Amino acid sequence: MPMHYEIRVAGTMSETMLSEGFPELDSYVVPSQTVLFGQVVDEAHLYGLLDRFRALGLRVVEFRQLPD
Amino acid sequence: MPDSAPSRRPPADGGPVPLPSPLPGGDPVLAARFAAPPVPRTFVRRERLGERLSEGLQRPLLLVNGPAGAGKTLLVADWAATAQLPGPVVWLTLERGDEAPGVFWAQLLAALRHAGVPLPADVAGPARAAEVDTALPDRLAAGLSGRGTPVVLVLDEFEHAGSPAVAEGLDGLLRHAAGGLRTVLISRAEPLLPLHRYRAADAVAEIRGTDLAFTAEETAVLLARHGLALSEAGVHALNRRTEGWAAGLRLCALATEHADDPEACLREFEAGNSTVADFLLAEVLQAQPAETQDLLLRTSVLERTHTGLADALTGRQDAARILEELRHANAFVTPLGHGWYRQHTLFAEILRVHLRARNPGLEQELHRRAAGWLHAAGRLADALPHAAAAGDWEQAAAWLVDDLALGQLLGGLDAARLDALFTRMPEQAEGPAVELVRAALALARWDVDRGLAHLGRAEESAPPGTGSAAARLSGAVLRVLAARLLGSADMAENAAETAAELERAVPEERLRAHPELKALLLAELGSAQLWEGRFDAARAGLTAAAEAADGAAQAAARHESLGRLALIDLLLGSPGRAEAHAVEAIAEAARCGLPPSAHSGVGHLVLAEVAFDRDDLAVARAALERAAAGSGAGRDPLLVVGLAVLRARLLLAAGDARAALLALAAAERPSPADKPSPWARERIALGQCAAHLAAGDPAAALRALTAAGEGPEPAVAAAQAHLAAGDPRAALAALEAVPARGARPAVAVRAQLVRARAVSAAGDPAAAHRLLAQALAAARPDRLRRPFREAGPWVRRRLQERPALAAAHGWLPRDLVAGLPRPDEPAAPAPVVERLSEREHDVLVRVAQMMSTDEIAGDLHLSVNTVKTHLKSINRKLCATRRGEAVRRARQLDLL
Repeated sequence: MPMHYEIRVAGTMSETMLSEGFPELDSYVVPSQTVLFGQVVDEAHLYGLLDRFRALGLRVVEFRQLPD
Repeated sequence: MPDSAPSRRPPADGGPVPLPSPLPGGDPVLAARFAAPPVPRTFVRRERLGERLSEGLQRPLLLVNGPAGAGKTLLVADWAATAQLPGPVVWLTLERGDEAPGVFWAQLLAALRHAGVPLPADVAGPARAAEVDTALPDRLAAGLSGRGTPVVLVLDEFEHAGSPAVAEGLDGLLRHAAGGLRTVLISRAEPLLPLHRYRAADAVAEIRGTDLAFTAEETAVLLARHGLALSEAGVHALNRRTEGWAAGLRLCALATEHADDPEACLREFEAGNSTVADFLLAEVLQAQPAETQDLLLRTSVLERTHTGLADALTGRQDAARILEELRHANAFVTPLGHGWYRQHTLFAEILRVHLRARNPGLEQELHRRAAGWLHAAGRLADALPHAAAAGDWEQAAAWLVDDLALGQLLGGLDAARLDALFTRMPEQAEGPAVELVRAALALARWDVDRGLAHLGRAEESAPPGTGSAAARLSGAVLRVLAARLLGSADMAENAAETAAELERAVPEERLRAHPELKALLLAELGSAQLWEGRFDAARAGLTAAAEAADGAAQAAARHESLGRLALIDLLLGSPGRAEAHAVEAIAEAARCGLPPSAHSGVGHLVLAEVAFDRDDLAVARAALERAAAGSGAGRDPLLVVGLAVLRARLLLAAGDARAALLALAAAERPSPADKPSPWARERIALGQCAAHLAAGDPAAALRALTAAGEGPEPAVAAAQAHLAAGDPRAALAALEAVPARGARPAVAVRAQLVRARAVSAAGDPAAAHRLLAQALAAARPDRLRRPFREAGPWVRRRLQERPALAAAHGWLPRDLVAGLPRPDEPAAPAPVVERLSEREHDVLVRVAQMMSTDEIAGDLHLSVNTVKTHLKSINRKLCATRRGEAVRRARQLDLL
């Protein structure tokens, strides 16, 4: 059951980090935040993403499911 | 024939892979996990946190939780090295894979041993990764609670052990170790311990992310350590921008160290909105020489690097110099000693992202080279995941087989990890080693047909006489294992002979390095021989396997062998020795933390049989339940037969002959063994004979005995049947086959009792009393009460006639001796052969709702045939013939 999610990270992420660290997500930048969004396949993917943000030293400020 | 070494690929960019020199004594990489990392000279000691740690240590648990790069590890390492502590420090750095409880506890015990903390004798390294019996942490806690000074246990990177099972065991350890343990958990994530309870009991102190953040003053000190002098405003701005995050501050220092105007350099960063580590690491990386950048990026795919390994990945010879320079600059790496280094985990993650961006597709090649180097360095366990990541499955399988390490797939701590790794092997992989690994995976799941198919393919792709001796030896061992599951002693003995010849063709040190392979072979060979009744041969092999060198990989073989030795003792009529072996088997399992589901069950089965013969029915039932919960129930033919026979005996004791016969019918085809076992057949026939006698049908009892052999036990059973049919003469004739001396106690006692009753019926009371006295004397050493109970009314009358005889045997049940009423045993329901599986339970619940087979199949998304198979299995386990009966039994037993 894929779901749409939007994740907001504090600060502007670099192009390299976006394209290689999170290749499965699209993104745009707002003042002082990077917004990543896209399909999350399942719960394992969801927790894997959270782990990846943490391992790369990125601070997640919001993580929400979008209506389909 | 000599073994050909596996061919190593040259690196893609030409030139040979430089080989590592053998590592000096021990494993420095492992030892590094048991030591606090060295504190660099730029480290800032923060008294406020040191005091918090020392104060927190008065409680059993101290948490240091914070994000990656918050400076947790160095804070605790410096404090442990300099503070006044109440006892010795035991340090353990956890890694990926340590969330498996068996691995976690094995590492924890190793860390305690490494620090010289004495361990209780009844605790050994866990034998299985996936599960650890709760007794292990409890025993360890008991051992620690008696200490005069507490052990200060530091578990760093505890997020890698974040499984509920580990947390549960650790919670038990913390609660029961009393004053003997103080635990410091360093983690990125809150542990799964019931922290609310710890907080309510004031049993935990916590240092969290906000505490770890550097204050402006601490930031100024840190920058000064790096030789940077910033204005107060500059320091405050930087502290705000990084939020006092240690990794960010370190990167800032590294980025500006060589700048002419660090203030200006940092102003640009302060004004921006970039994420701190991501942006700064790129800056710091750019500032490094090209070779250093290249080395950092390439070695980021490793858990740890070695100078030689780094050279293999870069194709240059400058790693020793570069890594030393980096260490000197306190940038990126921590030395582990002996040429080994570790990258800061946060920086390594980010570097991997940059590697993918800069050199797309290089990762696979780096994994390939790392695998080759690690394997050549004798680090097979580290090499295999890299070979898999490189997609070199055939190479990985060949290494596992050539190193004689295939036994590690079938038992021991690494089995789960290797199983998970090789289960991912794609269909396309082929070759003898790949097929051997597939065969091992199948046999580990008791799938004999698939196992044999892969073994056949392995032999086809490497006909006899070719291929490495190690591969053929591994194939022979797997064939012994398959033979055991099929119950074929001939096949097992042939394969074992082949293995013995091949052992001479493989390097001796490799055999010595993997004792589990030989232990596995001996245990499986002995089991196959036991199944076919070749008791002497079986005993020799099983004894050798039971005495195998202590080690987690052999623990299962030791435990199984001890249990099977107990069964041989029982079958040959030495209940005392059987009991001793069974107790040893169960103790060995407990020592190695084998949970009940991983016990073979044979030890408990033997204890149940011994208890039954002593008329301790409650003990027998409890032991039977434990045997039925073991790993072999329903799969290991030994246990299938043993459980059915014992269950039938218990059902008969409860007066239910029909249920006893049903239980025995279930054991007539103990899959997957297709070779019938002579003693198993005999025991089933004897059980059927006893059931027919109990049902008052001596003719059927005698018919049942035709399936039994010619031994003394069938003769005694026949005599009992003749006696029941009112023919004492025929009974005495049947007993002529039973020697008066030298028979097994249980048989001798029953034989004398039948003789006594036969001569009594023939009108010779004096001879009857003499024989009864002999029976009592033979039964006394092992307290065999059951035969006298079975002959109850007759024995009670004789003993009332001869009070002196009764007085001499006070061990007899009171009601037989003194004519007292029989103590009321609670009427227990017939025991369950084995627990229902989850699926079987699902099916049974729907049967209870009166659903048809088709409806159940639809509801559970199963095929109708699968549902029918489950129904058969349910009937067997609940000793029922029809659905309604199964549901009734299940309700009696509270299974629904």
